[in-house]
Amino acid sequence: MQPIIEMRDVSFAYGHDAQNALSNITLSIPAGSFTGIIGPSGAGKSTLAAVLSGAIPHHFTGSLYGETIVDGTDTCDMTLTDISRIVGSVNQDIDAQMVASVVEDELLFGLENFGVAHERIEATIAAALDAVGIADLRDREIATLSGGQKQKVAIAAILALAPGVLVLDEPTAALDPVSSRMVFDVLRDLNEHEGITVVVIEQKVALLSEFCNRLVVMNEGSIALEGTPHEVFGHATELRAIGVDSPRVARISNSLTAKGLCTAQEPCLSVEEAAELITSIVTGATPSKPVTSPEPRTARPHAKDAQPVVRFHGVCFSYPDGGASVNNLEMTVYPGELVGIVGQNGAGKTTATKLLNGLLKPSSGSVTVAGLDTRDVPVSQIARHTATLFQNPDHQLCKNTVLEEVAFGLELAGVPRGEAQQRAARVIDRFGLPANEAPFALSRGQRQMIALASVVVLEPEVVILDEPTSGLDYRECMTVMETVREMAEQGSAVIMVCHDMEVVSDFAERLVVMADGCILASGPTTEVFNDAALMKRARVKPPQVVELAAQLARDVSDAYAGITEVSGIVDATARLARADVREGSHA
Amino acid sequence: MLNVIDYVPGTTILHRLNPVTKLALAASIIIATILSDGYAALIALLLLTLLLGVYAGTATRLFSLLKVLVPIAVLMLVLQLAFVRHGDPVILFATTDGLVSGTKACLRLLGVALPLVLVLTVTKTTDLANACVEKLHIPYKYAFTFTTALRFVPVFTQEMNAIMEAQTARGVEFDSKNPFRKLSLMLPVCIPLLVTSVGKTDATALAAEQRGFYLRTRASSYRRYPFALRDAVCGALCVALIVAGIVL
Repeated sequence: MQPIIEMRDVSFAYGHDAQNALSNITLSIPAGSFTGIIGPSGAGKSTLAAVLSGAIPHHFTGSLYGETIVDGTDTCDMTLTDISRIVGSVNQDIDAQMVASVVEDELLFGLENFGVAHERIEATIAAALDAVGIADLRDREIATLSGGQKQKVAIAAILALAPGVLVLDEPTAALDPVSSRMVFDVLRDLNEHEGITVVVIEQKVALLSEFCNRLVVMNEGSIALEGTPHEVFGHATELRAIGVDSPRVARISNSLTAKGLCTAQEPCLSVEEAAELITSIVTGATPSKPVTSPEPRTARPHAKDAQPVVRFHGVCFSYPDGGASVNNLEMTVYPGELVGIVGQNGAGKTTATKLLNGLLKPSSGSVTVAGLDTRDVPVSQIARHTATLFQNPDHQLCKNTVLEEVAFGLELAGVPRGEAQQRAARVIDRFGLPANEAPFALSRGQRQMIALASVVVLEPEVVILDEPTSGLDYRECMTVMETVREMAEQGSAVIMVCHDMEVVSDFAERLVVMADGCILASGPTTEVFNDAALMKRARVKPPQVVELAAQLARDVSDAYAGITEVSGIVDATARLARADVREGSHA
Repeated sequence: MLNVIDYVPGTTILHRLNPVTKLALAASIIIATILSDGYAALIALLLLTLLLGVYAGTATRLFSLLKVLVPIAVLMLVLQLAFVRHGDPVILFATTDGLVSGTKACLRLLGVALPLVLVLTVTKTTDLANACVEKLHIPYKYAFTFTTALRFVPVFTQEMNAIMEAQTARGVEFDSKNPFRKLSLMLPVCIPLLVTSVGKTDATALAAEQRGFYLRTRASSYRRYPFALRDAVCGALCVALIVAGIVL
């Protein structure tokens, strides 16, 4: 295929930085391809997108070497406006991308500017809205749309200009799994039916492996791996070293290969492929001997007679101007528990966390945190017992140095300055953060770590996490979650709202499922994820491993029922395969 | 959360007027308010604005704005009473002249602030910008600056709320009853807001350029904003208002 964009030996450094954000990148984007770009944070993914879209060299300044050819012309020889006739780009911050307040005007803006003939405008707008499936939103105010809808408006606005290439920088970072999938469905549709080349930067490996036909893995400003998803995820060890997650099913098939249970082959990328592979390993025949199922993961024992540290009793709340209201919430959390709250956007999860830290007061019922009724005490009092890690760390950072920032929470809680700084310094040391730097000068991932450090230092009785892992790469995500688990082990009650079901299934031992402002169910993670009807009702997609286990339990053997971990599937397969071999040798 | 200046959809004559005419109407009410010197005229102009608001269905917005403006107006009255020293004393430091000029200043403040808000609630900002570019030959750059500034108000309000919530949850006493303490706590919070807003404006500039901002001319707009009979009638009303303001 003819490349539509070609980068030849491109290096770039921002401003006067000595260090290259990109070094010696040679990459060609074939016309009509669907390319995914992945890598740990700070690997230069967004910089690469900026080079592809012409924002480098035309908007961001720095030193650029090499050449980038878009449709036959060097980007240095074209204006940004001309480049954007060919390459349409959708940036990370959707709100900042919008130029109008009504959906229709948002689409009109580009069309008017590029001088599209007025008699064609009406049809073009209708077609663009149709292509992303939001024809009904045409007259809506953008401010009233959900994140997923806004993302689609942004794509439609670019699409109306009929670009040959779409470059998207983390289009699903702020979306729940269902909306993320819808955005990718739209992209695939455009790629297959309109022939638009798609380049997408994304952290969600499961989505990338399913939708892309090419993957580029970046690390420290260079391209580490390149190829089809099957080829790339075959390099599991390299990926782990870089800090990129592999889809869980790929991990399963790679482990099976490593154990010698199947011949070396391309990794599985979908539940179906994995199910097929495992079925063939277990040789179709079900062993006559019943195989004992693995011990279910035991919940961390919390003191039997411990008093619950959080108690919701018949809690109702509704916002005066609409928005996610909650009804009759009942919930108790004990010290040392790690509870996940799952559900779709708008299910009332964030409202529940705000009721918990006192930012909202229940209109009826009561919320008790560490023995305090949230209606009787000011939020700043509750804050001495609870600590919240917000989705966006930038909302909670306000000091000049990392040390002051981490110590700030302690000082607010009345700890003397000297002691607060000492305790803060210990935590900063443990996290390996630079104590004297300004928080805002650090990367997004590091800012999230500072926010986490200022939660850890408080040693709170209750920890609330609102989307703790969004915008983090795999390694940062694991560091955050391991830290949170340690806090739970030391006796904090952790309540976590999270869209990443893999993370939830790995770390939470109890789940609360919410939909439309109500708690649908609550119970051990395994049990909840395996309740297919419940998952469907809450519109939550269970993690790959759970789906695979359910399918295998139905088609192959009961031994797979209720497994939630990669190792569980691998062990069960190993046991079943050996049982078969033994039986075969006896016969 | 809805903003005081957000557009309220409707089909009243006020909604259908040309955006430029609406601006002229607001401007003439303001000019008349400044020129007129009688209580009757000042109150009548204020009532006119409120009645237009009721007619267009945006009265609730105007009243919620009044709630903010009235305390400021009262503060102004007190200042006027304190500074105007001639005339007969009434009570305490207040004098008759002070009362007269103070109350008029209050009425003028309200009369000047409300008409523009009224216009914004019955006009989409993009229409306003496009019409000004077409009819008044204002360069699009300035019109875009204006619409973007208005569009950023709710975005930044949201951002500010998120920051305040995050800080409150950390234990900063934003729930303090003391307004001065609250204000002094809010200052450091402006740093994160500033950092995000600079980032956002840069991203917006890039996004606008990538959609052909520099190609835009006066003829680009898809929508046209012709003057109709009702605009002429309204124009006559505007002139009448200003004349009345001078006379009364």
